[in-house]
Amino acid sequence: MVFKGGVNLFDAYKIRFCNIVEEISSDTPPEVFNFTLPSEQSVKHIIVTLCPTEPWALPNWVTLGHKTTVFLDKIKELQSTLFPEAKCSVVIINNETEHISAAKEYAGMNEWLEVFVIDAKYPYDDPVVLSKAILNKDINFGQDTLSQGILVFDAQTALAIHKSRILNKSVNSRFIALSGTGLKENEFIKVQLGTTLEKILKNRVKETAPYRVFINGPLRGMEIKDFAQKIDWTVNDIVVLAAQDKKVMFPMINTDRLHFTTNLLGELRACVYCNFCDDICPVNLEPALYYHCYNKGEKQKVRSYDLEKCIECGLCSFACPSKIELLRIIKECKLPDEQKS
Amino acid sequence: MKKLLNKFEPPLNKNLDRIESFIHTHGAVNFLFGAIFGAFDGLLRSSKHTAQTQPFIRSNMDTKKFMGAVLIALAIGWVFPAMYFYGLQCVISKLIVSLVVGVFAVDVIWAIIAREDHISEGGFVSCLLVPAILPPQAPLWLIGLGAAMAIIFRNILGGVGHNLVNPALFSRLFLTICFPALLATGYQMPFAGIPDLHTLRYGLDTITHATPLSEFKADGTITSYFSLLIGTANGSLGETCRLALILSGIWLVKMKVANWRLPVSYFGSVFLFSGMFCLLSKENVAPPLFQLLSGGLVLGAFFMITDPITATYNQKAKWIYGIGCGFITVLLRNYTTLSEGAMYAILLMNLLAIPIQSLMVKIRYRT
Repeated sequence: MVFKGGVNLFDAYKIRFCNIVEEISSDTPPEVFNFTLPSEQSVKHIIVTLCPTEPWALPNWVTLGHKTTVFLDKIKELQSTLFPEAKCSVVIINNETEHISAAKEYAGMNEWLEVFVIDAKYPYDDPVVLSKAILNKDINFGQDTLSQGILVFDAQTALAIHKSRILNKSVNSRFIALSGTGLKENEFIKVQLGTTLEKILKNRVKETAPYRVFINGPLRGMEIKDFAQKIDWTVNDIVVLAAQDKKVMFPMINTDRLHFTTNLLGELRACVYCNFCDDICPVNLEPALYYHCYNKGEKQKVRSYDLEKCIECGLCSFACPSKIELLRIIKECKLPDEQKS
Repeated sequence: MKKLLNKFEPPLNKNLDRIESFIHTHGAVNFLFGAIFGAFDGLLRSSKHTAQTQPFIRSNMDTKKFMGAVLIALAIGWVFPAMYFYGLQCVISKLIVSLVVGVFAVDVIWAIIAREDHISEGGFVSCLLVPAILPPQAPLWLIGLGAAMAIIFRNILGGVGHNLVNPALFSRLFLTICFPALLATGYQMPFAGIPDLHTLRYGLDTITHATPLSEFKADGTITSYFSLLIGTANGSLGETCRLALILSGIWLVKMKVANWRLPVSYFGSVFLFSGMFCLLSKENVAPPLFQLLSGGLVLGAFFMITDPITATYNQKAKWIYGIGCGFITVLLRNYTTLSEGAMYAILLMNLLAIPIQSLMVKIRYRT
């Protein structure tokens, strides 16, 4: 695996999904999706992201089918009705050649649309990274892109806004990708909003070994301990990983047992300045400096090393061979002094 | 192989678990054997720790693999060629002494005295480098002393990750000061040709010769580049077969264990500066290609200056660091009484890495 300014997770984690989309309904009346759109004047640019850079995220074909032109027609309708002044860009990941050629052909005939192709590297789909790459806007990392007049949304949200605002129909379900080593099978599901996690995971999880559940991926997402939690619109994918909290014999040959689990895959050691963290950093920071300043108790100094640029993608902690919790240090140092407990 | 290992797995795993719980429940046993068991267990089994904060998955590169890659490169780069050129007995006995004294005695005793919870993997690398930078006929006690000094020195400074200068080079400096005569002689001629049982075991054990660099210093003789490259010219035990060192070094760079900027800047600057000085005064300065291929420069460029702990962390500062190493090496080799300057140059730049690093950070972040 070569780490240089982001990482191609598709190569590292090959996840095969079952092609059938199963529908799951809620026990309670489903919640209705309600997207609060910003005012017409505040949006100068719309970016539609067809670029999931994580292998466990929902791929485009589930939401779009293979009908790129139909989707782009809907985007056109959305743009002309809701934000007539705004320009629109569609960003597509470079392994989706079918969508790229269709969208480029469409953009050739429609001036309001621009098509961008990005590498299948995590975290190139981050709103801040995208705004910087596409619009060359120098947005401070971590800042809301909307404050700069840039509205970023994914394919599924775009379709939902179209359905609710243009067609005036209610949206109460969404597609979710279910994957991970803790599951019997990787699959896509269509869930009614408000369904509990417990209902989704029932009969799908391998009960033989301990597992952990993450919403929106194990890199940037949250760990969920309370399975009574309900699914809302922000849930794109659910990843269930084997915890693998026991020692595995001969890890060199039994790599399949440790791969894609929550195991640290190594022991905590001192930083050896190996440059893995700054090589992999997509925004060109030097995370090891934060670690050393933090260890000396100089949190103020940490902030002077462009800390605000960090997009918290977690790749520095991911790549660290000494297994240092760099992202935790970064998050802690970002908090203002008085909030620290 | 996998099937055979998997057969042994359940009973071995169970017994290791039992030993581990026994050690952890008995304070005195843990004090004495906790670190040793941890090191042994770490070679056989994976960690049981899980990620508690984001990100919840981690890459499978860890310090063990990092150091393991260096060990493989060192084995291919100098251990196997040296076995052919100097005989099995010479190399194996030195490796055993170095590893036993350095890792299994000094490091283990240190872990017990200093109450450390683990034995670091970095000790193997230092102990594999110590015999490589000493003459082939160096006595075994000298190797043992060198390995012990390297590990003690590194541990005094706080262990792997805290050492200011390369421990192996520091021990060689210490030995050069204490035993100058032993380090100036004993440069055995390497064996070349089809080996028989005797040469495979002992090499050409009686013939010693001045090293190519000291020969140049004495009468301006330039050894053939081909013999320098393949290892038939003499020198320290591990530095002679440059071809193997270059190949294993390139593999290390490809694995991203060694940073490519350091060997490139070191080789480049040695070539450039020696070329410049050679044009200025032809009779005193060796030609650039001879300088690149002689002495411990190739070993130093791939295995010494690429030690990430002692080099600078900032990537741009790495260029300054490498060029500084090259400049000092050329100066020491050609304008002082020393015939080989790579060791002093690297040690000096190890220390200078700290101000270079802080200066580059100040420039980059304007602090």
